[in-house]
Amino acid sequence: MRAFGYARPADAGEAAALLRAGARAMGGGTDLLTQLDRGILPADEVVDLRALGLSGIEHDGGGVRIGATTSVADVERDAGIGERFPGLRQAAGAVGSPQLREMGTVGGNLCQQVRCWYFRHPDLQCWLRGGETCYAQIGDHRKHGLEPGDCISVAPSDLAAALLVLDAEVETTGRRMPLADLYRKATAERRSTLVLEPGEFLTAVEVPRAPDASTYVIAGERAAWSFALVGVAAARFGDDVRMAAIGVSNLPRPLDPDDPAAGLPGLEMTRWKRRLLETLASDARAAVGR
Amino acid sequence: MTAKLVKTEAVVEGRTEVRWTLVEEDDTPEFEDGAPTRPVGEPTPRISARARTTGSARYTVDVALPGLLEAVVLRSPHANARVTSLDLDAARAVPGVRCVLGPGEGPEHAGSPLTDAPAFAGAAIAVVAADTPDAAEAGVAALAPEYEVLGFVSTIDDGFEKQDFLEEPTEHVRGDPDAALSAAEVTVEASYAVPAQLHNSLEPHAAVADWREDGLTVWSSTQAIFDARSTIADAFGLEPDQVRIICEFMGGGFGSKFGVGPQGLLAAELSRRARRPVRLVNSRREENLAAGFRTPAKMDYTIGASRDGRLEAVEATAMIGMGTGGWPFPVLEPVKSVYACPNLRLMTAPVRMNLGPSAAFRAPGVMEGTFGFEQALDELAEKVGIDPIEIRRLNHTENDPESGKPYTSKGLLKAYERAAELAGWEGRDGLRGDGRVRRGMGVASQYWWGAGGPPAYAEVRIGKSARPTVTVGLQDLGTGTMTACAVIASERLGIPAGEITVHAGDTSRIGHGPASGGSMTLASIAPAVRMAAHSVRTDILGLAADMFEIAASDLTLEDGEIRSVDGTLREPVTEVTGKLGNAWISGSGSRGPNPDGMNVNTFGCQIAQIAVDTGTGAVTVERVVAVHDIGRVVNPMGARSQVMGGVLQAIGFALMEERVVDPTTGTVVNAGLEDYKVPTIADVPEVVCEFVGDPDPHLRMGVKGLGEPPIIPTAAAIGNALAHALGVRLREAPYTPRRVLEALGA
Repeated sequence: MRAFGYARPADAGEAAALLRAGARAMGGGTDLLTQLDRGILPADEVVDLRALGLSGIEHDGGGVRIGATTSVADVERDAGIGERFPGLRQAAGAVGSPQLREMGTVGGNLCQQVRCWYFRHPDLQCWLRGGETCYAQIGDHRKHGLEPGDCISVAPSDLAAALLVLDAEVETTGRRMPLADLYRKATAERRSTLVLEPGEFLTAVEVPRAPDASTYVIAGERAAWSFALVGVAAARFGDDVRMAAIGVSNLPRPLDPDDPAAGLPGLEMTRWKRRLLETLASDARAAVGR
Repeated sequence: MTAKLVKTEAVVEGRTEVRWTLVEEDDTPEFEDGAPTRPVGEPTPRISARARTTGSARYTVDVALPGLLEAVVLRSPHANARVTSLDLDAARAVPGVRCVLGPGEGPEHAGSPLTDAPAFAGAAIAVVAADTPDAAEAGVAALAPEYEVLGFVSTIDDGFEKQDFLEEPTEHVRGDPDAALSAAEVTVEASYAVPAQLHNSLEPHAAVADWREDGLTVWSSTQAIFDARSTIADAFGLEPDQVRIICEFMGGGFGSKFGVGPQGLLAAELSRRARRPVRLVNSRREENLAAGFRTPAKMDYTIGASRDGRLEAVEATAMIGMGTGGWPFPVLEPVKSVYACPNLRLMTAPVRMNLGPSAAFRAPGVMEGTFGFEQALDELAEKVGIDPIEIRRLNHTENDPESGKPYTSKGLLKAYERAAELAGWEGRDGLRGDGRVRRGMGVASQYWWGAGGPPAYAEVRIGKSARPTVTVGLQDLGTGTMTACAVIASERLGIPAGEITVHAGDTSRIGHGPASGGSMTLASIAPAVRMAAHSVRTDILGLAADMFEIAASDLTLEDGEIRSVDGTLREPVTEVTGKLGNAWISGSGSRGPNPDGMNVNTFGCQIAQIAVDTGTGAVTVERVVAVHDIGRVVNPMGARSQVMGGVLQAIGFALMEERVVDPTTGTVVNAGLEDYKVPTIADVPEVVCEFVGDPDPHLRMGVKGLGEPPIIPTAAAIGNALAHALGVRLREAPYTPRRVLEALGA
């Protein structure tokens, strides 16, 4: 582990200033520390956001507001979420291991970096990290995404899929937007899958209303403690079914419930994932009763 | 007691070694049929359980000495390269850096572990020792290496194409395979492939070295303290007595930790130069790049058989991806040794690749070869329409098919029978179902060595408080050998195993003990411990006979008491030992040779029941029935743990573990536990474990080894179960959702 500075400000303005100066934001550190250890998006300073009073779950009318530094385990344990947003509870329970869920935060989970063994390789600088080559597309991409593009890594946030189908909104230090807008494709000029500006960080996520039914299903590489090969969330509001998936694109991706694999052709080595996606989408759809 | 030199043969993972060894005459009585053996054969908790679970156990990485320096290795990022520039002086100038070694440097009398021609990504180029880990890292960064990057070979096929072999390919012929194959009524051709499996011992490779005027002490996470000592002594031109190797506790090794490794050599050289103790510990990434692996292999079988399923001939080839070093393990041993087959041709090609050196990994070669051949055999069974267990019985052999020698004992037929019973084999076809989730059941046989042998020495002492100590020249890599030693001494001394202290893992305490490997450790040391304990027992009873005026032959030791067989005397053993003052009674024991003209092997079979979701490709192992013949079982609790561990490690191999090498750069892309998945507790199936072996009549105490056997047949049984469930055979491990869905046409 390389040495770095650590700040835990109690003031959001101070945190934002440190972030603008190049520090990296930390929730539980479960993803960040593994990146810093390998020199991925290195930083000399880390800002722990957990002293800013951003933790907590509030049920209000039909909706729920979850502070950005609330632990994933607290989401999993919350009785109201379990009762009214079962898909969100399932997604929280699918994250990592019990230890990782205790440490990991909702904001950190939504903002974690993509999974790709080239992106995370200490000796390679891939396209998304500012290099010239997407090593995955010319290399071994057996677990990669199905969506064509400059980068075929996959978005790993189980919570993002579950929250997308609930029409969640996120609140940052400067604005409020639909969760879907937090993510965007990286470009040659801007190699990031998040829209956050320097100094900006998540403060809360809000779900406006409870669905009539919701679910989250995941296929991992082993029985527990595995990033999703594919994870599919579904929610039904009356007759309206929403679906979203992770593990198929480098963004959490809404799916067409009638044609879930549309726009996700995959490559020779990932074609199997289309079958997996279709199976999980069918399971999720069945679980929400349509 | 008289000692004599004897010549003895020991089979170490398929290689026969002839050794001269000094053994003492052993007059310890064998267990009598039906007589109590307790606590031998009764479950005993591990004596180190409390230390390990409370954290008081000191592993090599925990060793902290005053003035300790931390060392960090610079490793090549390239699969094949020449170092064109390296700034050793800049590293030496970094504050806190105390010593830097560059390519070619190292112990005077050994090859340097550091190179300027790295032939794999992860090869060691230089090492920096500094006051703190941060300073050492800064020193490594200051080396600022530059490279000329060269071409590389990362697949078995490419290596074979280049005809670049680590050793010459070998051919082994028995009988006339060509004639027998062309005359065979039925032939089956089958190909299987397995990937590199990484050891991922929980405790990484590590060494702490402390060079002093009067000698060198190395704390090493090693499976062989005496091999470590001779390696270090030779490398530095020291006498063995000037070198002390200590390994108090280990967190696994699985074959990758024989000797001191480059960590021990480099730490010792750094300590010699810096005159400070030095610690060198692999990171998890270094473990997965440069600490060895089970060799990937491609296996092809052509089997000729009679219409009723008798093996007539097998032609088999194995291409093994060795990496840059290692020893080609016997991948085709299962073809050669498990069944009666008069005609064979076995060809093995150990291919060089630009990957780290391979290393032994729990049943090296044999586990991979069992995966291939036991599935090929099921293909034959299917073709001739015979039940898989029946075809194994049909081809059973009572003598070693290669040499014709008899086995000292063989409980394989009994294992088939018992496993079938426990698994409900008769009803296997009813399991399948026709829904999305299918079930299947498969079987595979297990063959391994496991005799152990000399030299192995033990000493037992008892003092006035009657709390005995057992000292053995071995190390416990986590298998529970030390607990088994306590159990064995307990039986002779009549003192509970929990009150016996076992000293091991220190070359300065006693003479040679076995390496922890090859399923040889307990089988080697058990008779020596019992002999030493018996000697102490004899002395105690002799003293008691004088004290209580009862013939020694009418006295016994039980539950901490001296008792007369007629029940009239019950006195605490301290009545005798209490008179010792500061003296003690000690006894020594040594392991005698194995019988001439016979083969000592372990046998067994496992039956796996699996469920496969044809929609997601997920394979779940629901149940494994493991029935093995390992001779006498010393500690059933420890033995069951070994079986659980072996089965689980094999489930990793069968379902998820695979080193992936990038075809473009030749670097490993999953050299960490995020992407290299090992099983977790949630993947553990129900494991039904039984031992059917009788005590081996030709071995002292009748004990055979167990380390390897449980990992050997599991993956093959899972493969056979998967084929049974799906009606489709998958030819490459691991059986990931991808491979299953692709096999189903996704």
